[in-house]
Amino acid sequence: MTEYSRSAKGSFTQAATGNNVAIYLPFQPNLVKLTNYTAYANFAASDIPWAVWDVQMGQGFAAVGYVGTGPVLETGVVTSNGISTFAAGLSLQFGAKQQIASIAKASPTVVTTAAPHGYNVGDVVLMEGLYESATTGMPQMSGMLFQITAVGSTTTFTVTWNSNQSNYTALTASPTGAFVMKVLYPFLYLPGQNFIEAINTTTNLITTTTNHNYVVGQQVAFRIPTAWGSTQLNSLPDTLIPGSPIYYYVTAVNSNTTFTVGGNLTNVTAYTSNVPVAQVPGLTPPQVVAVGDVNTGGFPYNGGNLYPSPAFPTFSGGVSTINGPAIQGAFVNNTRQGFVIGSGNAVVLGTPDTASHLSGETGDVIYWEALFDEIAMP
Amino acid sequence: MEDLILRDYIISAASQINAGGGTNGDNPTNLGVSDFSLVATTLDTNNAYKFMSGIEGMDRFGTGPVRSSYFMLSSTELQSDMDGLVGQGFISSWNYPTNSSALPSEYGSVFNIRVLTSSEAPVARGASAMNNDVYYNTVAGKQAVTHINQDGFSMNLIYRDPYFSGMLAQNATLAVKFAQAQALTQDTAVRNLLCTRLSNLGV
Repeated sequence: MTEYSRSAKGSFTQAATGNNVAIYLPFQPNLVKLTNYTAYANFAASDIPWAVWDVQMGQGFAAVGYVGTGPVLETGVVTSNGISTFAAGLSLQFGAKQQIASIAKASPTVVTTAAPHGYNVGDVVLMEGLYESATTGMPQMSGMLFQITAVGSTTTFTVTWNSNQSNYTALTASPTGAFVMKVLYPFLYLPGQNFIEAINTTTNLITTTTNHNYVVGQQVAFRIPTAWGSTQLNSLPDTLIPGSPIYYYVTAVNSNTTFTVGGNLTNVTAYTSNVPVAQVPGLTPPQVVAVGDVNTGGFPYNGGNLYPSPAFPTFSGGVSTINGPAIQGAFVNNTRQGFVIGSGNAVVLGTPDTASHLSGETGDVIYWEALFDEIAMP
Repeated sequence: MEDLILRDYIISAASQINAGGGTNGDNPTNLGVSDFSLVATTLDTNNAYKFMSGIEGMDRFGTGPVRSSYFMLSSTELQSDMDGLVGQGFISSWNYPTNSSALPSEYGSVFNIRVLTSSEAPVARGASAMNNDVYYNTVAGKQAVTHINQDGFSMNLIYRDPYFSGMLAQNATLAVKFAQAQALTQDTAVRNLLCTRLSNLGV
Protein backbone atom coordinates (compact mmCIF):
# COMPACT_ATOMS: atom_id res chain seq x y z
CA MET A 1 0.00 0.00 0.00
CA THR A 2 1.64 3.23 -1.09
CA GLU A 3 0.62 6.82 -1.52
CA TYR A 4 -1.49 6.23 -4.65
CA SER A 5 -3.73 3.58 -3.13
CA ARG A 6 -6.85 4.38 -1.21
CA SER A 7 -8.95 2.15 0.99
CA ALA A 8 -11.88 2.64 3.29
CA LYS A 9 -14.31 0.50 5.25
CA GLY A 10 -17.55 1.01 7.11
CA SER A 11 -21.04 -0.27 7.73
CA PHE A 12 -24.65 0.87 7.69
CA THR A 13 -28.10 -0.41 8.61
CA GLN A 14 -30.56 -0.39 5.74
CA ALA A 15 -33.46 1.94 6.53
CA ALA A 16 -35.95 0.55 4.01
CA THR A 17 -35.89 -2.41 1.67
CA GLY A 18 -34.20 -1.60 -1.61
CA ASN A 19 -33.20 1.95 -0.74
CA ASN A 20 -30.20 3.29 -2.62
CA VAL A 21 -27.32 3.93 -0.22
CA ALA A 22 -24.65 6.51 -1.04
CA ILE A 23 -21.27 6.13 0.63
CA TYR A 24 -19.24 9.34 0.65
CA LEU A 25 -15.49 8.91 0.36
CA PRO A 26 -12.47 11.07 -0.39
CA PHE A 27 -11.95 9.03 -3.59
CA GLN A 28 -13.85 7.02 -6.21
CA PRO A 29 -13.15 3.32 -5.65
CA ASN A 30 -12.42 0.83 -8.43
CA LEU A 31 -13.25 -2.18 -6.24
CA VAL A 32 -16.08 -2.56 -3.69
CA LYS A 33 -16.94 -5.53 -1.49
CA LEU A 34 -20.19 -5.89 0.48
CA THR A 35 -21.02 -8.27 3.32
CA ASN A 36 -24.65 -8.43 4.42
CA TYR A 37 -24.22 -9.76 7.96
CA THR A 38 -27.98 -10.11 8.48
CA ALA A 39 -28.38 -12.12 5.30
CA TYR A 40 -25.53 -14.39 6.37
CA ALA A 41 -27.36 -15.02 9.64
CA ASN A 42 -30.85 -15.50 8.22
CA PHE A 43 -30.02 -17.49 5.07
CA ALA A 44 -33.48 -16.79 3.68
CA ALA A 45 -34.54 -17.07 0.05
CA SER A 46 -33.77 -13.99 -2.10
CA ASP A 47 -31.08 -12.74 0.27
CA ILE A 48 -27.80 -11.44 -1.13
CA PRO A 49 -25.20 -12.19 1.57
CA TRP A 50 -22.19 -10.79 -0.33
CA ALA A 51 -21.34 -8.84 -3.43
CA VAL A 52 -18.26 -7.69 -5.32
CA TRP A 53 -17.95 -4.91 -7.84
CA ASP A 54 -14.97 -4.08 -10.01
CA VAL A 55 -14.83 -1.01 -12.19
CA GLN A 56 -14.18 -3.28 -15.17
CA MET A 57 -17.68 -4.78 -14.75
CA GLY A 58 -19.15 -1.39 -15.62
CA GLN A 59 -21.23 1.10 -13.67
CA GLY A 60 -24.34 -0.42 -12.07
CA PHE A 61 -23.18 -4.04 -12.10
CA ALA A 62 -22.05 -6.48 -9.39
CA ALA A 63 -21.27 -10.17 -8.87
CA VAL A 64 -23.25 -11.57 -5.96
CA GLY A 65 -23.82 -14.55 -3.75
CA TYR A 66 -27.53 -15.40 -3.71
CA VAL A 67 -29.82 -17.54 -1.58
CA GLY A 68 -32.26 -19.46 -3.76
CA THR A 69 -35.36 -21.39 -2.71
CA GLY A 70 -34.57 -24.37 -0.61
CA PRO A 71 -32.76 -22.40 0.73
CA VAL A 72 -29.66 -23.06 -1.30
CA LEU A 73 -26.61 -20.92 -1.95
CA GLU A 74 -26.18 -19.88 -5.56
CA THR A 75 -24.34 -17.18 -7.50
CA GLY A 76 -25.64 -14.48 -9.75
CA VAL A 77 -25.02 -11.02 -11.12
CA VAL A 78 -26.64 -7.62 -10.86
CA THR A 79 -26.95 -5.97 -14.25
CA SER A 80 -28.67 -2.70 -13.37
CA ASN A 81 -28.92 -0.54 -10.24
CA GLY A 82 -25.88 -2.29 -8.83
CA ILE A 83 -22.80 -0.49 -7.58
CA SER A 84 -21.65 2.69 -9.26
CA THR A 85 -19.24 5.49 -8.46
CA PHE A 86 -20.04 9.19 -8.58
CA ALA A 87 -18.32 12.55 -8.41
CA ALA A 88 -20.78 15.28 -7.51
CA GLY A 89 -18.50 18.21 -8.16
CA LEU A 90 -19.96 19.95 -11.18
CA SER A 91 -23.46 21.26 -11.72
CA LEU A 92 -25.74 20.73 -14.70
CA GLN A 93 -25.17 17.00 -15.00
CA PHE A 94 -28.25 15.14 -16.18
CA GLY A 95 -29.34 11.54 -16.54
CA ALA A 96 -30.65 10.07 -19.76
CA LYS A 97 -33.62 11.76 -21.45
CA GLN A 98 -36.80 9.77 -21.13
CA GLN A 99 -39.85 10.22 -23.33
CA ILE A 100 -42.94 11.51 -21.53
CA ALA A 101 -45.97 9.50 -22.65
CA SER A 102 -48.67 11.62 -21.02
CA ILE A 103 -49.51 14.09 -18.27
CA ALA A 104 -53.10 14.43 -17.10
CA LYS A 105 -54.32 17.73 -15.66
CA ALA A 106 -54.16 17.30 -11.90
CA SER A 107 -52.84 18.75 -8.65
CA PRO A 108 -50.32 17.44 -7.82
CA THR A 109 -49.22 16.52 -11.30
CA VAL A 110 -48.63 12.90 -12.26
CA VAL A 111 -46.23 12.26 -15.14
CA THR A 112 -46.29 9.03 -17.15
CA THR A 113 -43.18 7.97 -19.03
CA ALA A 114 -43.11 5.74 -22.10
CA ALA A 115 -40.65 3.32 -20.47
CA PRO A 116 -39.77 2.53 -16.83
CA HIS A 117 -38.15 5.66 -15.45
CA GLY A 118 -36.16 4.18 -12.58
CA TYR A 119 -36.70 7.26 -10.42
CA ASN A 120 -37.08 7.30 -6.65
CA VAL A 121 -38.95 9.61 -4.29
CA GLY A 122 -36.69 12.60 -3.66
CA ASP A 123 -35.05 12.58 -7.08
CA VAL A 124 -34.99 15.94 -8.83
CA VAL A 125 -36.05 16.09 -12.46
CA LEU A 126 -36.23 18.63 -15.27
CA MET A 127 -38.97 18.45 -17.89
CA GLU A 128 -38.93 20.02 -21.32
CA GLY A 129 -40.89 20.12 -24.55
CA LEU A 130 -44.23 19.84 -22.75
CA TYR A 131 -46.27 20.88 -25.78
CA GLU A 132 -49.38 18.99 -26.91
CA SER A 133 -49.52 21.25 -29.97
CA ALA A 134 -47.72 24.42 -30.98
CA THR A 135 -50.01 26.48 -28.76
CA THR A 136 -51.19 24.05 -26.10
CA GLY A 137 -49.73 21.78 -23.45
CA MET A 138 -47.92 22.37 -20.17
CA PRO A 139 -44.75 24.25 -21.17
CA GLN A 140 -45.24 26.45 -18.08
CA MET A 141 -43.53 23.63 -16.17
CA SER A 142 -40.54 23.46 -18.48
CA GLY A 143 -37.16 24.52 -17.20
CA MET A 144 -38.02 24.32 -13.51
CA LEU A 145 -36.65 21.68 -11.19
CA PHE A 146 -39.15 19.36 -9.51
CA GLN A 147 -38.62 16.94 -6.68
CA ILE A 148 -40.47 13.64 -7.06
CA THR A 149 -42.91 13.29 -4.17
CA ALA A 150 -44.33 9.87 -5.07
CA VAL A 151 -43.62 7.04 -7.47
CA GLY A 152 -46.93 5.43 -8.42
CA SER A 153 -45.51 2.76 -10.69
CA THR A 154 -42.46 2.03 -12.78
CA THR A 155 -43.72 4.52 -15.37
CA THR A 156 -45.41 7.19 -13.24
CA PHE A 157 -44.19 9.77 -10.73
CA THR A 158 -45.69 12.78 -8.98
CA VAL A 159 -44.40 16.35 -8.66
CA THR A 160 -45.76 19.28 -6.70
CA TRP A 161 -47.50 21.48 -9.26
CA ASN A 162 -51.08 22.37 -10.08
CA SER A 163 -51.59 21.62 -13.78
CA ASN A 164 -55.37 21.33 -13.39
CA GLN A 165 -55.93 24.89 -14.61
CA SER A 166 -57.50 26.52 -17.64
CA ASN A 167 -54.26 27.37 -19.44
CA TYR A 168 -52.96 23.81 -19.23
CA THR A 169 -53.79 21.08 -21.72
CA ALA A 170 -53.19 17.41 -20.99
CA LEU A 171 -50.33 15.73 -22.82
CA THR A 172 -51.17 12.53 -24.64
CA ALA A 173 -49.62 10.00 -27.02
CA SER A 174 -45.94 10.74 -26.30
CA PRO A 175 -45.65 14.24 -27.81
CA THR A 176 -42.53 14.75 -29.88
CA GLY A 177 -39.79 16.41 -27.83
CA ALA A 178 -41.50 15.89 -24.45
CA PHE A 179 -38.75 14.61 -22.20
CA VAL A 180 -37.83 14.30 -18.55
CA MET A 181 -34.32 13.89 -17.23
CA LYS A 182 -32.92 13.48 -13.77
CA VAL A 183 -30.67 16.15 -12.31
CA LEU A 184 -27.82 14.03 -11.01
CA TYR A 185 -26.47 16.45 -8.38
CA PRO A 186 -29.12 19.07 -7.63
CA PHE A 187 -27.94 20.33 -4.25
CA LEU A 188 -24.23 21.00 -4.58
CA TYR A 189 -24.32 24.45 -3.02
CA LEU A 190 -26.94 25.11 -0.40
CA PRO A 191 -29.35 26.75 -0.06
CA GLY A 192 -29.70 27.19 -3.80
CA GLN A 193 -32.12 28.86 -6.14
CA ASN A 194 -35.66 27.62 -5.50
CA PHE A 195 -38.71 27.68 -7.77
CA ILE A 196 -42.07 28.62 -6.29
CA GLU A 197 -45.10 26.37 -6.62
CA ALA A 198 -47.49 28.41 -4.48
CA ILE A 199 -47.72 31.45 -2.22
CA ASN A 200 -50.44 31.78 0.40
CA THR A 201 -50.72 35.47 1.12
CA THR A 202 -52.94 34.81 4.15
CA THR A 203 -50.69 32.37 6.00
CA ASN A 204 -47.42 33.59 4.43
CA LEU A 205 -46.68 30.00 3.45
CA ILE A 206 -44.34 29.54 0.49
CA THR A 207 -44.25 26.19 -1.33
CA THR A 208 -41.23 25.32 -3.44
CA THR A 209 -40.86 22.65 -6.11
CA THR A 210 -37.78 21.13 -4.47
CA ASN A 211 -36.33 21.08 -0.97
CA HIS A 212 -35.76 24.72 -0.08
CA ASN A 213 -33.03 23.97 2.49
CA TYR A 214 -33.67 27.13 4.49
CA VAL A 215 -33.44 27.56 8.24
CA VAL A 216 -35.46 29.79 10.55
CA GLY A 217 -34.08 33.30 10.55
CA GLN A 218 -32.73 33.08 7.02
CA GLN A 219 -33.08 36.13 4.84
CA VAL A 220 -34.65 35.48 1.44
CA ALA A 221 -35.38 37.47 -1.69
CA PHE A 222 -38.16 36.86 -4.21
CA ARG A 223 -37.88 37.11 -8.01
CA ILE A 224 -41.38 36.81 -9.45
CA PRO A 225 -42.08 38.04 -12.99
CA THR A 226 -45.40 39.80 -13.59
CA ALA A 227 -47.10 36.81 -15.21
CA TRP A 228 -47.06 34.91 -11.90
CA GLY A 229 -48.55 37.67 -9.69
CA SER A 230 -47.38 38.58 -6.16
CA THR A 231 -44.79 40.95 -7.61
CA GLN A 232 -44.93 43.11 -4.48
CA LEU A 233 -42.70 40.52 -2.85
CA ASN A 234 -39.85 41.19 -5.28
CA SER A 235 -36.60 42.52 -3.94
CA LEU A 236 -36.95 45.98 -5.39
CA PRO A 237 -35.76 48.99 -3.37
CA ASP A 238 -37.50 49.16 0.00
CA THR A 239 -39.16 52.55 0.37
CA LEU A 240 -39.06 52.18 4.15
CA ILE A 241 -35.36 51.35 4.33
CA PRO A 242 -33.47 53.57 1.87
CA GLY A 243 -30.70 51.69 0.07
CA SER A 244 -32.03 48.26 0.97
CA PRO A 245 -33.99 45.88 -1.23
CA ILE A 246 -37.16 44.24 0.10
CA TYR A 247 -36.11 41.07 1.90
CA TYR A 248 -38.05 38.65 4.08
CA TYR A 249 -37.04 36.47 6.98
CA VAL A 250 -37.95 32.81 7.29
CA THR A 251 -40.00 32.56 10.47
CA ALA A 252 -40.85 28.85 10.28
CA VAL A 253 -39.78 25.84 8.31
CA ASN A 254 -43.00 23.86 7.88
CA SER A 255 -41.68 21.02 5.74
CA ASN A 256 -38.83 20.30 3.39
CA THR A 257 -40.70 22.15 0.62
CA THR A 258 -42.64 24.78 2.59
CA PHE A 259 -41.63 27.67 4.78
CA THR A 260 -43.24 30.74 6.29
CA VAL A 261 -41.96 34.28 5.92
CA GLY A 262 -42.59 37.20 8.22
CA GLY A 263 -44.40 40.39 7.30
CA ASN A 264 -47.91 41.30 6.29
CA LEU A 265 -48.73 39.90 2.85
CA THR A 266 -52.45 40.66 2.86
CA ASN A 267 -52.01 43.44 0.28
CA VAL A 268 -49.92 41.25 -2.00
CA THR A 269 -51.77 40.24 -5.16
CA ALA A 270 -52.57 36.58 -5.56
CA TYR A 271 -49.97 34.22 -6.91
CA THR A 272 -50.95 32.20 -9.98
CA SER A 273 -49.27 29.44 -11.95
CA ASN A 274 -52.05 29.57 -14.56
CA VAL A 275 -49.88 31.38 -17.07
CA PRO A 276 -51.03 31.34 -20.73
CA VAL A 277 -48.95 29.17 -23.05
CA ALA A 278 -48.49 32.12 -25.39
CA GLN A 279 -46.44 33.86 -22.66
CA VAL A 280 -44.01 30.96 -22.24
CA PRO A 281 -41.29 31.96 -24.76
CA GLY A 282 -38.93 34.02 -22.67
CA LEU A 283 -40.91 33.48 -19.47
CA THR A 284 -38.75 33.61 -16.33
CA PRO A 285 -39.88 31.20 -13.62
CA PRO A 286 -40.86 32.43 -10.12
CA GLN A 287 -37.95 32.08 -7.71
CA VAL A 288 -36.87 32.63 -4.16
CA VAL A 289 -33.21 32.74 -3.20
CA ALA A 290 -31.25 33.08 -0.01
CA VAL A 291 -29.68 36.46 0.51
CA GLY A 292 -25.95 36.20 0.73
CA ASP A 293 -25.22 39.47 2.45
CA VAL A 294 -26.33 38.81 6.01
CA ASN A 295 -27.03 35.13 5.80
CA THR A 296 -26.21 33.69 9.17
CA GLY A 297 -29.73 32.48 9.75
CA GLY A 298 -30.46 35.25 12.21
CA PHE A 299 -28.49 33.59 14.96
CA PRO A 300 -25.28 35.39 15.87
CA TYR A 301 -22.26 33.13 16.16
CA ASN A 302 -21.54 32.79 19.85
CA GLY A 303 -18.16 31.15 19.73
CA GLY A 304 -19.50 27.64 20.19
CA ASN A 305 -18.64 24.54 18.28
CA LEU A 306 -19.67 24.75 14.64
CA TYR A 307 -19.74 20.98 14.18
CA PRO A 308 -21.53 18.84 13.19
CA SER A 309 -21.83 19.71 9.53
CA PRO A 310 -25.19 21.14 8.52
CA ALA A 311 -27.72 18.56 7.37
CA PHE A 312 -30.00 18.94 4.36
CA PRO A 313 -32.93 18.98 3.85
CA THR A 314 -33.46 21.08 6.93
CA PHE A 315 -36.90 19.91 8.12
CA SER A 316 -36.69 16.11 8.14
CA GLY A 317 -34.52 13.33 6.82
CA GLY A 318 -31.47 15.54 6.70
CA VAL A 319 -28.08 14.13 5.74
CA SER A 320 -24.94 15.90 6.90
CA THR A 321 -22.71 17.31 4.23
CA ILE A 322 -19.13 16.12 4.25
CA ASN A 323 -17.61 19.55 3.86
CA GLY A 324 -18.63 21.23 7.12
CA PRO A 325 -18.48 23.07 9.39
CA ALA A 326 -20.60 26.01 8.41
CA ILE A 327 -22.30 28.94 10.02
CA GLN A 328 -26.02 28.30 10.37
CA GLY A 329 -27.86 29.56 7.34
CA ALA A 330 -24.75 30.37 5.36
CA PHE A 331 -24.14 28.86 1.96
CA VAL A 332 -22.70 25.36 2.17
CA ASN A 333 -20.56 23.44 -0.25
CA ASN A 334 -22.12 19.99 -0.68
CA THR A 335 -19.84 18.56 -3.34
CA ARG A 336 -18.94 14.92 -2.74
CA GLN A 337 -17.79 11.64 -4.28
CA GLY A 338 -17.87 7.97 -3.49
CA PHE A 339 -20.06 5.07 -4.55
CA VAL A 340 -23.75 4.11 -4.54
CA ILE A 341 -25.21 0.74 -3.67
CA GLY A 342 -28.36 0.38 -5.75
CA SER A 343 -31.49 -1.70 -5.31
CA GLY A 344 -30.63 -4.01 -8.21
CA ASN A 345 -31.97 -7.57 -8.37
CA ALA A 346 -29.86 -10.68 -8.51
CA VAL A 347 -29.98 -12.29 -11.95
CA VAL A 348 -29.47 -16.04 -11.57
CA LEU A 349 -28.97 -18.09 -14.74
CA GLY A 350 -30.52 -15.24 -16.72
CA THR A 351 -33.61 -14.86 -14.54
CA PRO A 352 -33.91 -11.82 -12.24
CA ASP A 353 -35.34 -12.33 -8.76
CA THR A 354 -37.28 -9.13 -8.14
CA ALA A 355 -37.55 -9.96 -4.42
CA SER A 356 -33.79 -9.66 -4.01
CA HIS A 357 -32.07 -6.34 -3.45
CA LEU A 358 -28.36 -5.65 -3.52
CA SER A 359 -28.76 -2.88 -0.96
CA GLY A 360 -30.59 -5.23 1.41
CA GLU A 361 -33.84 -5.22 3.32
CA THR A 362 -35.06 -3.10 6.22
CA GLY A 363 -32.78 -3.56 9.22
CA ASP A 364 -30.02 -5.41 7.36
CA VAL A 365 -26.56 -4.64 8.68
CA ILE A 366 -24.18 -4.33 5.75
CA TYR A 367 -20.40 -3.96 5.91
CA TRP A 368 -18.56 -2.44 2.99
CA GLU A 369 -14.97 -2.15 1.89
CA ALA A 370 -13.83 0.18 -0.88
CA LEU A 371 -10.46 0.21 -2.61
CA PHE A 372 -8.65 2.26 -5.18
CA ASP A 373 -5.77 0.06 -6.19
CA GLU A 374 -2.17 0.95 -6.82
CA ILE A 375 -2.02 -0.97 -10.06
CA ALA A 376 -5.00 -1.93 -12.20
CA MET A 377 -4.56 -4.17 -15.27
CA PRO A 378 -6.34 -3.19 -17.39
CA MET B 1 -10.62 24.48 -10.61
CA GLU B 2 -11.20 27.47 -8.36
CA ASP B 3 -13.05 29.17 -11.20
CA LEU B 4 -15.22 26.12 -11.84
CA ILE B 5 -16.23 25.93 -8.20
CA LEU B 6 -17.18 29.59 -8.13
CA ARG B 7 -19.00 29.17 -11.45
CA ASP B 8 -21.09 26.29 -10.12
CA TYR B 9 -21.67 28.10 -6.87
CA ILE B 10 -23.16 31.08 -8.68
CA ILE B 11 -25.40 29.07 -10.99
CA SER B 12 -26.67 27.12 -7.97
CA ALA B 13 -27.30 30.02 -5.65
CA ALA B 14 -28.12 33.09 -7.76
CA SER B 15 -31.47 33.84 -9.36
CA GLN B 16 -32.10 33.62 -13.07
CA ILE B 17 -33.68 35.72 -15.79
CA ASN B 18 -34.78 33.89 -18.92
CA ALA B 19 -33.93 35.68 -22.14
CA GLY B 20 -37.09 36.83 -23.91
CA GLY B 21 -35.74 39.27 -26.43
CA GLY B 22 -34.78 36.70 -29.04
CA THR B 23 -36.79 35.33 -31.89
CA ASN B 24 -36.43 31.56 -31.75
CA GLY B 25 -39.66 31.01 -29.79
CA ASP B 26 -37.97 28.87 -27.15
CA ASN B 27 -37.89 29.39 -23.42
CA PRO B 28 -35.46 30.89 -22.81
CA THR B 29 -35.07 32.55 -26.20
CA ASN B 30 -31.81 33.41 -27.87
CA LEU B 31 -30.18 36.64 -26.72
CA GLY B 32 -31.69 39.91 -27.87
CA VAL B 33 -30.23 43.29 -27.02
CA SER B 34 -33.26 43.97 -24.83
CA ASP B 35 -32.11 41.15 -22.54
CA PHE B 36 -28.83 42.92 -21.90
CA SER B 37 -30.71 46.11 -21.21
CA LEU B 38 -33.11 44.35 -18.83
CA VAL B 39 -30.38 42.70 -16.79
CA ALA B 40 -28.36 45.90 -16.52
CA THR B 41 -31.49 47.78 -15.47
CA THR B 42 -32.23 45.18 -12.82
CA LEU B 43 -28.73 45.43 -11.41
CA ASP B 44 -28.79 49.21 -11.52
CA THR B 45 -32.09 49.22 -9.64
CA ASN B 46 -30.48 47.08 -6.98
CA ASN B 47 -27.59 49.54 -6.68
CA ALA B 48 -24.97 47.14 -7.98
CA TYR B 49 -21.54 48.58 -8.64
CA LYS B 50 -20.23 48.43 -12.18
CA PHE B 51 -16.80 46.95 -12.78
CA MET B 52 -15.56 49.18 -15.56
CA SER B 53 -15.83 52.84 -16.30
CA GLY B 54 -16.67 53.70 -19.89
CA ILE B 55 -14.36 54.30 -22.82
CA GLU B 56 -14.75 57.71 -24.36
CA GLY B 57 -15.36 57.84 -28.11
CA MET B 58 -12.47 58.71 -30.39
CA ASP B 59 -12.16 59.85 -33.96
CA ARG B 60 -11.27 56.40 -35.27
CA PHE B 61 -13.06 54.55 -38.11
CA GLY B 62 -15.44 51.81 -37.01
CA THR B 63 -15.20 52.49 -33.31
CA GLY B 64 -17.79 53.61 -30.82
CA PRO B 65 -17.85 54.64 -27.18
CA VAL B 66 -18.30 51.94 -24.53
CA ARG B 67 -20.54 52.50 -21.53
CA SER B 68 -19.57 51.88 -17.95
CA SER B 69 -20.27 48.21 -17.52
CA TYR B 70 -20.96 45.07 -15.57
CA PHE B 71 -19.19 41.91 -16.59
CA MET B 72 -21.00 38.95 -18.12
CA LEU B 73 -19.38 35.53 -18.43
CA SER B 74 -20.67 33.72 -21.52
CA SER B 75 -19.90 30.61 -23.48
CA THR B 76 -17.70 30.82 -26.54
CA GLU B 77 -20.54 28.99 -28.31
CA LEU B 78 -22.56 32.21 -28.17
CA GLN B 79 -20.01 34.29 -30.02
CA SER B 80 -21.73 33.84 -33.37
CA ASP B 81 -25.01 35.02 -31.82
CA MET B 82 -23.17 38.07 -30.47
CA ASP B 83 -21.84 38.80 -33.94
CA GLY B 84 -25.44 38.71 -35.14
CA LEU B 85 -26.18 41.62 -32.82
CA VAL B 86 -23.67 43.95 -34.51
CA GLY B 87 -25.59 47.05 -35.50
CA GLN B 88 -28.18 46.49 -32.80
CA GLY B 89 -25.98 47.35 -29.84
CA PHE B 90 -23.11 44.88 -29.83
CA ILE B 91 -19.64 46.37 -30.14
CA SER B 92 -16.77 43.96 -30.68
CA SER B 93 -13.81 44.57 -28.40
CA TRP B 94 -11.87 45.29 -31.59
CA ASN B 95 -14.21 48.20 -32.20
CA TYR B 96 -13.56 49.85 -28.87
CA PRO B 97 -11.95 53.26 -29.22
CA THR B 98 -8.96 51.77 -27.42
CA ASN B 99 -8.20 48.19 -26.49
CA SER B 100 -6.12 49.10 -23.50
CA SER B 101 -8.78 48.15 -20.96
CA ALA B 102 -10.14 45.11 -22.85
CA LEU B 103 -9.40 41.82 -21.17
CA PRO B 104 -7.90 38.96 -23.21
CA SER B 105 -11.17 37.01 -23.08
CA GLU B 106 -13.37 40.02 -23.76
CA TYR B 107 -15.53 39.55 -26.85
CA GLY B 108 -17.35 42.85 -26.83
CA SER B 109 -20.01 44.89 -25.11
CA VAL B 110 -23.74 45.46 -25.33
CA PHE B 111 -25.05 48.60 -23.66
CA ASN B 112 -23.93 48.41 -20.01
CA ILE B 113 -22.50 44.89 -20.16
CA ARG B 114 -19.06 43.79 -21.29
CA VAL B 115 -18.99 40.16 -22.37
CA LEU B 116 -16.20 37.73 -21.47
CA THR B 117 -16.31 34.37 -23.21
CA SER B 118 -14.93 31.04 -22.08
CA SER B 119 -15.31 27.44 -23.17
CA GLU B 120 -15.87 26.59 -19.50
CA ALA B 121 -18.95 28.76 -19.14
CA PRO B 122 -21.91 26.70 -17.86
CA VAL B 123 -24.22 25.05 -20.36
CA ALA B 124 -27.19 22.76 -19.65
CA ARG B 125 -27.33 20.56 -22.73
CA GLY B 126 -30.78 20.05 -24.22
CA ALA B 127 -32.58 21.61 -21.28
CA SER B 128 -34.78 24.31 -22.83
CA ALA B 129 -38.52 24.10 -23.42
CA MET B 130 -37.75 23.05 -27.00
CA ASN B 131 -34.85 20.73 -26.13
CA ASN B 132 -32.10 23.16 -27.01
CA ASP B 133 -28.95 23.91 -25.01
CA VAL B 134 -29.40 26.46 -22.24
CA TYR B 135 -26.52 28.84 -21.58
CA TYR B 136 -25.98 30.44 -18.19
CA ASN B 137 -24.61 33.94 -18.63
CA THR B 138 -23.56 35.26 -15.25
CA VAL B 139 -23.86 39.03 -14.98
CA ALA B 140 -22.30 40.40 -11.82
CA GLY B 141 -21.80 43.66 -10.07
CA LYS B 142 -18.59 44.38 -8.25
CA GLN B 143 -19.97 43.57 -4.79
CA ALA B 144 -21.78 40.36 -5.79
CA VAL B 145 -19.33 37.57 -5.14
CA THR B 146 -15.99 36.98 -3.57
CA HIS B 147 -13.76 34.10 -2.78
CA ILE B 148 -11.64 33.80 0.27
CA ASN B 149 -8.28 32.13 0.22
CA GLN B 150 -8.09 30.52 3.61
CA ASP B 151 -5.00 30.49 5.78
CA GLY B 152 -3.36 33.09 3.62
CA PHE B 153 -2.50 30.98 0.62
CA SER B 154 -3.92 30.70 -2.84
CA MET B 155 -3.68 27.81 -5.28
CA ASN B 156 -0.44 25.84 -5.43
CA LEU B 157 0.54 23.76 -8.42
CA ILE B 158 2.71 21.00 -7.02
CA TYR B 159 5.18 19.00 -9.09
CA ARG B 160 7.62 16.51 -7.68
CA ASP B 161 9.85 14.66 -10.07
CA PRO B 162 10.04 10.85 -9.83
CA TYR B 163 13.20 10.91 -7.77
CA PHE B 164 11.37 12.64 -4.94
CA SER B 165 8.03 10.87 -5.40
CA GLY B 166 9.00 7.28 -4.73
CA MET B 167 11.86 5.07 -3.74
CA LEU B 168 12.16 3.61 -7.22
CA ALA B 169 11.72 6.95 -9.01
CA GLN B 170 8.98 5.54 -11.22
CA ASN B 171 6.20 8.10 -10.87
CA ALA B 172 6.07 11.85 -10.74
CA THR B 173 3.51 13.75 -8.67
CA LEU B 174 1.39 16.51 -10.17
CA ALA B 175 -1.27 18.05 -7.97
CA VAL B 176 -3.19 21.19 -7.23
CA LYS B 177 -3.77 22.35 -3.69
CA PHE B 178 -5.94 25.21 -2.55
CA ALA B 179 -8.00 26.21 0.42
CA GLN B 180 -10.75 28.47 -0.67
CA ALA B 181 -14.29 29.45 0.21
CA GLN B 182 -16.86 31.17 -1.96
CA ALA B 183 -19.29 33.77 -0.79
CA LEU B 184 -22.24 35.45 -2.43
CA THR B 185 -21.84 38.78 -0.71
CA GLN B 186 -24.81 40.53 -2.29
CA ASP B 187 -27.52 38.47 -3.92
CA THR B 188 -29.23 41.39 -5.59
CA ALA B 189 -26.08 42.26 -7.54
CA VAL B 190 -25.83 39.09 -9.57
CA ARG B 191 -28.12 37.41 -12.13
CA ASN B 192 -27.86 34.41 -14.38
CA LEU B 193 -29.20 35.40 -17.79
CA LEU B 194 -30.33 32.11 -19.34
CA CYS B 195 -30.58 31.86 -23.09
CA THR B 196 -30.60 29.44 -25.99
CA ARG B 197 -28.70 29.84 -29.21
CA LEU B 198 -29.93 31.08 -32.57
CA SER B 199 -27.05 30.13 -34.81
CA ASN B 200 -26.04 26.62 -35.76
CA LEU B 201 -22.95 25.58 -33.88
CA GLY B 202 -21.66 23.69 -36.88
CA VAL B 203 -19.95 20.91 -34.94
